[in-house]
Amino acid sequence: MNAEHRIEDLLRELAPQVLGTLVRRHGQFAACEDAVQEALLAAALQWPTEGVPDRPRSWLLTVASRSLVDEWRSESARRRREETMAALEPAADQEDANHGPADQDDTLALLFLCCHPALSPPSQLALTLRAVGGLTTTEIAAAFLVPEATMAQRISRAKQRIRSAGARFELPPKPAERLGVVLHVLYLIFNEGYTASSGPTLHRVDLTAEAIRLARLLHRLRPREGEVAGLLALMLLTDARRAARTDAAGSIVPLAEQRRELWDAAGIAEGVALVTRTLGTVPVGPYQLQAAIAAVHDEAPTAEETDWPQILALYEVLGQVAPGPLVTLSQAVALAMVHGPKAGLALLGTLDADERMAHTHRLESVRAHLLERAGDTVAARESYLRAARMTASVPEQRYLALRAARLHHLAAPADPAC
Amino acid sequence: MKYMIMMFGGLGATLETRTPEWITSMHEFMLKLDGELKEAGEVVASHGLVDPSRAKTVRFQNGVPVPTDGPFAEVKESLAGYWIVEVSEDRAIEIASQVVAFIEYPMEVRRIMDEPTAPEL
Repeated sequence: MNAEHRIEDLLRELAPQVLGTLVRRHGQFAACEDAVQEALLAAALQWPTEGVPDRPRSWLLTVASRSLVDEWRSESARRRREETMAALEPAADQEDANHGPADQDDTLALLFLCCHPALSPPSQLALTLRAVGGLTTTEIAAAFLVPEATMAQRISRAKQRIRSAGARFELPPKPAERLGVVLHVLYLIFNEGYTASSGPTLHRVDLTAEAIRLARLLHRLRPREGEVAGLLALMLLTDARRAARTDAAGSIVPLAEQRRELWDAAGIAEGVALVTRTLGTVPVGPYQLQAAIAAVHDEAPTAEETDWPQILALYEVLGQVAPGPLVTLSQAVALAMVHGPKAGLALLGTLDADERMAHTHRLESVRAHLLERAGDTVAARESYLRAARMTASVPEQRYLALRAARLHHLAAPADPAC
Repeated sequence: MKYMIMMFGGLGATLETRTPEWITSMHEFMLKLDGELKEAGEVVASHGLVDPSRAKTVRFQNGVPVPTDGPFAEVKESLAGYWIVEVSEDRAIEIASQVVAFIEYPMEVRRIMDEPTAPEL
């Protein structure tokens, strides 16, 4: 790792701590957040040439505080400024001393604030990446493929909304519920990076890496929360297959056809250890169950050796803990592997009337695969094409169109890409 | 000058009867072209749209806007995707010609209107 990367990592680790400290002292999340971004920018410019200061955290805190004061001064809030100045100066110096539990609570409170229920999911994602992740607006805009001005506006509106919702910088009264929202936001960031819901490339590595980093941070803060460990394990176990998930041409390779030697053994080991340690010690939740399922897949040396009965059993538990159409969908796949494609197709039939499936291609995609396995090539082809028309992902669309074309041209020579 | 190069039709129109080999090579061609345009700094934006069968059209009916399923035009005339390139008209036509030679479907090249210039300060 070169010096510049080390500085970047350090800055992003310190960002939520510095912001947390500032907000705890002064309130005014929006102003503090701007100030911290300025301090991060200054550090990114100065540290590579002038060296990292002895106490980088104090440095950032001092610069951010100064910028906050400048801001207040320019807003001519004279009286307030004088009060704040008095409060600011000495505190900035003793920061490295209290690098303890208060800090951790600050980071957690920041996460809760950024994932406030009054915000729309895109705003929650953007704000979390900026305030807790320490990413710049430019980087976030690039990751989500939107113009920078749009992202800047989204972040600024999100901050206004937090203020008008009267959100406070503190651990919420019902932390368990709010923790669920935080986990979901991290899950969405990961998914955005992993499946790239729109756009030409399948993986946006930065977002998956960032989601894992934030999940690790949260796991450090709340090591006994089973679902936090479960989510981190799920991300690790899913991300471990990344190298095998696309071929050289960028096309999707389904799980059963992936070259398992490309899987990341270290990531799998870490994920499996995490989920093994967690399961059975705490109330079981959906992320832990999904992680356990991913672990069963990842531990199979070949696709044929996958322990499908165990996966089916886990999906049945998941269906009870967190029922939903996507769980039923995956359960149908497992059912088909254990009891044959007809059994799977019958379960899929129960989703046909489900409104929640109207906007995803996944039902048709799974149906197409099961029809193909059942030998009904005509119906399978139609299902593949329907799925291809529904997806918003270019690689998915190409994959589905190719599967359909292959069934249509069965007599033609085998497609080298598949 | 900026031009929009528009591609029409849906998945059904362009891919349904093609061979897997054709689909693969079409993809490779598009990827290569996209890369070249980006490399040359000619592309301002490029986006593909989901299949027109997923479109909703909002029409003004009996004094109110009414949304209905489906695209505004025939599926084969419906916008499928576009590039915005900053090049001469000849170059824009040349780019479109390369694609048309491959997909055998028509494309439209149209100049984007100038941004209003910023007021003098």
